[in-house]
Amino acid sequence: MTYRFGLDELFVVELARTIRDAEVVFHGFGSPCATVAMHLAKRTHAPHALLIEGATYAVNPSPSFIAPSSNDHSLKQGSAYSMRFEEAFDMSIRGDMDLMFLSGIQIDPYGNTNVTAVGGMPHPKVKLGGGGGGCNMSATIGRLTLWTTNHRSGRCLVGECDFITDIGHRTPEGTRSALGYPGGGPDTLVTELGVFDYPEGRARLRRLFPDVTLAEAKAVTGFEFAVAADLAPVQTPSRHQIDLVRAIDPLGVRRREFRPAELERSFSL
Amino acid sequence: MAVHLAPDKLADLETAAALVQPGSTVALGGGLSARLPMALVRGLIRAGIGDLHVVGSAHSIDVDLLAAAGSITVCEESYVGYEQDHGLAPAFRRAAQEGLLEARESCCDTILTQLRAAEMGLSFLPVHGVKGTDIEGLHPEYSRVTCPFTGHEYVAVPPLAPDAALVHAPVGDRQGNLHIEQPYVLDERFAAASAMTIATVDRIAPTDEVAAAGIVIPHYRVAAVVEAPFGAHPSSCYPGYAYDRAHLASWVAAARTAGGAQDYLRRYVTGVDEDGYRQLIGADRLEHLTGYRASDQAWMELFR
Repeated sequence: MTYRFGLDELFVVELARTIRDAEVVFHGFGSPCATVAMHLAKRTHAPHALLIEGATYAVNPSPSFIAPSSNDHSLKQGSAYSMRFEEAFDMSIRGDMDLMFLSGIQIDPYGNTNVTAVGGMPHPKVKLGGGGGGCNMSATIGRLTLWTTNHRSGRCLVGECDFITDIGHRTPEGTRSALGYPGGGPDTLVTELGVFDYPEGRARLRRLFPDVTLAEAKAVTGFEFAVAADLAPVQTPSRHQIDLVRAIDPLGVRRREFRPAELERSFSL
Repeated sequence: MAVHLAPDKLADLETAAALVQPGSTVALGGGLSARLPMALVRGLIRAGIGDLHVVGSAHSIDVDLLAAAGSITVCEESYVGYEQDHGLAPAFRRAAQEGLLEARESCCDTILTQLRAAEMGLSFLPVHGVKGTDIEGLHPEYSRVTCPFTGHEYVAVPPLAPDAALVHAPVGDRQGNLHIEQPYVLDERFAAASAMTIATVDRIAPTDEVAAAGIVIPHYRVAAVVEAPFGAHPSSCYPGYAYDRAHLASWVAAARTAGGAQDYLRRYVTGVDEDGYRQLIGADRLEHLTGYRASDQAWMELFR
């Protein structure tokens, strides 16, 4: 019998693939897809990962559901220890966190992100929520997985951010090494269309979702990008992975990151 | 960082709110949907105490209501909004876009570092990041400093010593000892770095009980403590109650227009006191939010 699943589920599996076993992994608040991905990785290929939950700083929790707000205490369930705010930030700033998830309303070719203001400051066209801890953490954490569910709009992957909130591989002031930043910067960017990596510190298309063409991806990307010689569709997930996504997130909070049309996309095994 | 030594600091909400002077720097405790000092926020709005410079990490309806009331001149938070659930904060966003307040966005870790500088009595501390971002340009008070040992250039940030920290706790005693559950967010740092802490608690209890639960903020940091049941509503205050997702949604919907935001303020803030607020929300609804304990399923259903 055909087993069907949605883009939201496939997307979370792609995010989870960026987590390696026995790593220290953190997601910020307001990141349901990244939250689900962390728990998926922990229950599949990264059982020894140290998960630090977004805004509760609970260590290795196993919540019975994902709450729509990231500092709800339900997200601490199953955790024997919660870090203090200071512990979590100190750990990230001294470079002891291996991976963090970051999103952006705008993302440039170097992986700088804008979550502060469309149109820039001090006269924003749209004042966005803000960067939380990103403008320090992005400097020092081992590597970053960026994600967006808004690539198709043509407004997210831009040649230049209106405002740089979080640091990618190079800002107008210089490269990460010139700035003296120890963290490795963006390693992967997962969008609802495909997956990029950053060889030489610039986005390169590595994978496409099965229902997306290269021409479609190019048409909505505001900068020229290299394409990997072995460009291929994303790896097919296992039924077990998809089942786990649904079990981890029974409320479907992950789906709130996507436009309705993207949630219509479906795939089968 | 003055100490507050009165043996009994129990106050009513009006008296406590009036400790905040117009034009002062106010730290908001809690974060996102948890333990926001909402009774005090409503008290400040009722009293018309404005021209505030608010500081904090990631916040939501507390800043949004103050922005709607025109109470904020400078907003130095790291984030204001409702995450992926209800999105951007409508009143804050409108005020920032119309230039009615200065959105001097900061970073959680920078705020933490500045509070630590104040706690340690230092004139600056360096931060590891910020350099190369546009956040630096929003802060003329930042500078650069070269490490005498390595030659590395850091962004230097000044101490942050708020005039008042507003904190909500589930339980505290009349002297001002406060117990809160993790995440404490920045509340301990705010209490230590600020000139005074003004607290609301869901329940006043004997000192022995607060001490047994664990004192997180000690009495000598606290200038006044107010008993305000459900004083964090519509945010959560565990172990008492979960956040009121439906109420947050109704505020966000109302605040999409300036008129809608003003209607909400009249109905839920300026038109009532805290007793009246709880009556408007309804005893059944508030009781429902305490029902998270019944089972995982009951907890989850609160958010469906």
